[in-house]
Amino acid sequence: MDLSDNEMIICRCEEVTYGELKNTAETYNCSARELKLRTRAGMGYCGGRTCRSMVDSIAHSSTERDVTQVTLKYQPPIRPVSFGSLGEITK
Amino acid sequence: MNRVIVIGAGPAGLSAAITIAESGYEVLILDEYMLAGGRLLGQLYEEENGKWWNGIKESKNLHDKAIALGIEIRLGTPVSNIEKTDGSWVIYTDEETYYTHHLLLATGAAEVPLPIPGWTLPGVMSVGAAQVMTNVHRVKPGNRGVIIGVNVLSSAIAMELKLADIDVACITLPKKNQVNKESGNPMDVMNSLLHVSHMAPSAFVKFGSKLMKNEFMKKMGITFFPKSGVKMWDIPIMLRKAVINIYGENTVEGVTIATINASGEVIEGTEENISADFVCIAGGLYPLAELAAVAGCPFYYIEELGGYVPLHNERMETVLDGLYVAGNITGVEGAKVAISQGVTAGLAIANNLSGGKQEVEIKEAIKRIEHTRDNAFIQFHPAVKEGKQKLQQYWEEYGQQAKVEVTI
Ligand SMILES: Cc1cc2nc3c(=O)[nH]c(=O)nc-3n(C[C@H](O)[C@H](O)[C@H](O)COP(=O)(O)OP(=O)(O)OC[C@H]3O[C@@H](n4cnc5c(N)ncnc54)[C@H](O)[C@@H]3O)c2cc1C
Repeated sequence: MDLSDNEMIICRCEEVTYGELKNTAETYNCSARELKLRTRAGMGYCGGRTCRSMVDSIAHSSTERDVTQVTLKYQPPIRPVSFGSLGEITK
Repeated sequence: MNRVIVIGAGPAGLSAAITIAESGYEVLILDEYMLAGGRLLGQLYEEENGKWWNGIKESKNLHDKAIALGIEIRLGTPVSNIEKTDGSWVIYTDEETYYTHHLLLATGAAEVPLPIPGWTLPGVMSVGAAQVMTNVHRVKPGNRGVIIGVNVLSSAIAMELKLADIDVACITLPKKNQVNKESGNPMDVMNSLLHVSHMAPSAFVKFGSKLMKNEFMKKMGITFFPKSGVKMWDIPIMLRKAVINIYGENTVEGVTIATINASGEVIEGTEENISADFVCIAGGLYPLAELAAVAGCPFYYIEELGGYVPLHNERMETVLDGLYVAGNITGVEGAKVAISQGVTAGLAIANNLSGGKQEVEIKEAIKRIEHTRDNAFIQFHPAVKEGKQKLQQYWEEYGQQAKVEVTI
């Protein structure tokens, strides 16, 4: 694995690299959820909309997939919502 | 509250809404995009019978029909959450909160990314983005592109780019890594391509059908696959090359490709540069089921359907009361299948509202989905039927379990 692969960004919001994810997955043999929590990949403002499937694939290189449960949980809001409209008092 | 709400104005959502309105019920459609039609908008190709499937036209027909029936469509309205409170579904958007007893999720599919060094440079986009720019917005994504990822979608879109007079230098594989395991493996790609040979004229078809015969032949086929690729619509498809890097100072200037062996390992010293001003990444599609997940639907991972799908029956009902699904959220397939699923979901909703007046029509509609699937021009997974059977089995098992729980 050459340098450029390891430096490649997977989660753009939190700037987590491929190398970081791969090493964490190998060191801890972790589930997708644990990999996310350890690295913060998928925890930025987009809510993992781009990197979710990649984080999932990297975790499943070392662990078995649970076919009866979504491995990386979806949490509301599933689209970015501005603080303005979240906190707005309806007229 | 008697108004039905549909999330997603793609072919599935629009057809469902039309069916519900035709049965005499009020419908509201919410969609985050600025146009109605969903992923149908970007589609453009010639079918086997020589007829053109023009997504913009098909979308307009569905949209006009919906408007004529008095269906309200609110565009530019992303739904950020749904939940069930006091027996009704609550739908949250930026501006307003909506309530209904019957909610249909028709949110379609999304694209899988393939990470490659340099993939965060401006000028790199998903192949679907290039399709929407070209066919919907009529803006060229660039003058000369490279498509990474060889599959049904990328070959269909390559042809569309070609029609728009955009040069496609080649379609090739991504370098293998832990994410691009299958899409970077020539054998796996070859296997998945063989069933789309009807979309590839001349050379590839002949090549493909001969290879179909057995594993040994496939292996030989990959081993002797011409390094310069096999041409389809004059675009070289290269199964023995992979992009190892996307380069450029501030924006894409080109890609470095290298020869790979039959299992996808890069052969040192074979690197060469191809200049390009845009790069498309084609990693395939998965059902976009976020809202079904936050609602609490049980899910199953079914590879043939593109990933995790919410559990539902043939009538497109989920296990949650008043929550329905239709279209690509139930598995990745072509637009015609999505339309027939939308009609079925629409009938199921109307039937539940009318106290069971549409039973016969529902049965017919279910059969029509099968028929449409059997005759589909575009198929994203060769074993989609088996995938649907697996889901049906999960549904039955789930029903058994629920019964046991009730008796206890
Ligand atoms: C990039 C791409 C290219 C494709 N190309 C082809 C092709 O060439 N040929 C083919 O047959 N099939 C193609 N498909 C498959 C395509 O998904 C189906 O053909 C068909 O469009 C599916 O219809 P649908 O109604 O299920 O979903 P879609 O057509 O995807 O419509 C879903 C709609 O839901 C909306 N939506 C999603 N989430 C939310 C939310 N939270 N809030 C509000 N609105 C939401 C979206 O804006 C969208 O308009 C493609 C899919 C993709 C993703």
